[in-house]
Amino acid sequence: MWYHQPAINEELLQSLPNLKVVASSGVGIDHLDLKLLSSYGVKVANNPFVVTTDTADLGMALMLASSRRLVEGHEMAVSPDTEYFPADWLGVEVSGATLGIVGMGAIGYKVAERAKAFEMKILYHNRNQRKKEEESAVGAVYCKKIDDLLQQSDFVLLAVNLTPQTHKLIGKRELELMKPTATLINISRGLVVDQDALVEALQNKVIKAAALDVTYPEPLPRDHPLLKLKNVIITPHIGSATKKTRWIMMEEMAESIEAGLAGLPIPREVL
Amino acid sequence: GPGLKVISTLSVGFDHLALDEIKKRGIRVGYTPDVLTDATAELSVALLLSACRRLPEAAEQVKSGGWTTWKPLWMCGYGLSDSTVGIIGLGRIGQAVARRLKPFGVRKFLYTGSGPKPESAAEFGAEFVPLTRLAEESDFVVVTCALTPATQGMCNKDFFGRMKKTSVFVNTSRGAVVNQEDLYNALSSGQIAAAGLDVTTPEPLPTDHPLLSLKNCVILPHIGSATYATRSTMAVLAANNLLAGLRGEPMPHELKL
Repeated sequence: MWYHQPAINEELLQSLPNLKVVASSGVGIDHLDLKLLSSYGVKVANNPFVVTTDTADLGMALMLASSRRLVEGHEMAVSPDTEYFPADWLGVEVSGATLGIVGMGAIGYKVAERAKAFEMKILYHNRNQRKKEEESAVGAVYCKKIDDLLQQSDFVLLAVNLTPQTHKLIGKRELELMKPTATLINISRGLVVDQDALVEALQNKVIKAAALDVTYPEPLPRDHPLLKLKNVIITPHIGSATKKTRWIMMEEMAESIEAGLAGLPIPREVL
Repeated sequence: GPGLKVISTLSVGFDHLALDEIKKRGIRVGYTPDVLTDATAELSVALLLSACRRLPEAAEQVKSGGWTTWKPLWMCGYGLSDSTVGIIGLGRIGQAVARRLKPFGVRKFLYTGSGPKPESAAEFGAEFVPLTRLAEESDFVVVTCALTPATQGMCNKDFFGRMKKTSVFVNTSRGAVVNQEDLYNALSSGQIAAAGLDVTTPEPLPTDHPLLSLKNCVILPHIGSATYATRSTMAVLAANNLLAGLRGEPMPHELKL
């Protein structure tokens, strides 16, 4: 299945008595009711590794685009109304700023590796602290309490998976803890953020800006306030959108399905 | 006029100065190298990522409602993982760009210029190659050289003709290094995949310029060094260069003529 379609519920499973394997694109499995699938004897596989690099790259792309005002700049450069480029049109440097990574899994760690080359100071919040060698390789400092990360970061990047524990992890309280000059970057899942609280925070300049590859729902309804805010960049869930990665995902999914149908151990099975 | 003693430019580029005339008249020149390296390198990488991951195009689809349902190959771009990056001009900015790109999983760095720079290249294991080979083998080409008679119009039909169909071209040097008509043809015919330009000729481009109509060309309004911190530092430096020149003292950064 690609991108949460079709929705897997009791009805669907009952209508497909011979269903043996579901291969779900990407690494996220928050859209799957694993207990339900298991009760029907259906096995599940995903693509946990191949999406990591492209998603981390997009996280960096969003952070840079937001901070250096890339989308705005491009619009100005190609606009028929632009007569000259104003000399005082400025952005803010990413280099030397503090990045707080919430969720230091595979994707979060790759973001840290990239951010280090920009001489960013890296803080992270995670269920568990990473090994010392992993921390020092990227110069990352563990924040056991998310509050510490939120208060110190110029950029807060969300790279957690969506679970009942991370649902609305970033709400009004967390946004108010962030600096008024800070930017929120979300490459995880829309529901990790309390979206209404985010809109309010952006409108009232509680935080400076947001760059989101994920929202809830996707796509947003046409009249949603997030689409109108000047200090928001939204991309259409393209974290893993490179030709190479999408082809590998397809090959992996086919491989998992074939193994499942043959009764063999399933590569990338979600247990 | 005859009373002109000092020129202080708010840039590291000096292609806009008629150096022969200036030297003849005994005028001193101050400029702002180094202090803008990081900001410009950062913008070059930001531009490269925006072009290869189609950021402005994708953001526009979200706003316009073009994003309806999700399809596996929709809005797909090109990744940096396992790629070959070719840098034209491995100077301060070029090196800073390479440093930032390295952790994105770049497999190989190539560079070209007036001559090899082994000390600069060592950090990235970069190989010095002729311009033609750089075009042929690179997945990403980043132009960070100075504009000189030798580099003027260097990126032309022949250059783009050698590049891969899947490659991305980024220019943050000077517009005149690129033959814009040839670039337009390369982009519109699919000879190269995408381009990112922070600099053009002229700036801004005329409103009916064909490059402005291309979805796979990200154009920025020459913002390489445009950050509050960097421009402040540049401004102070430029002022100090000027004052030192007027006083007949050594400048913090004087251009040797």
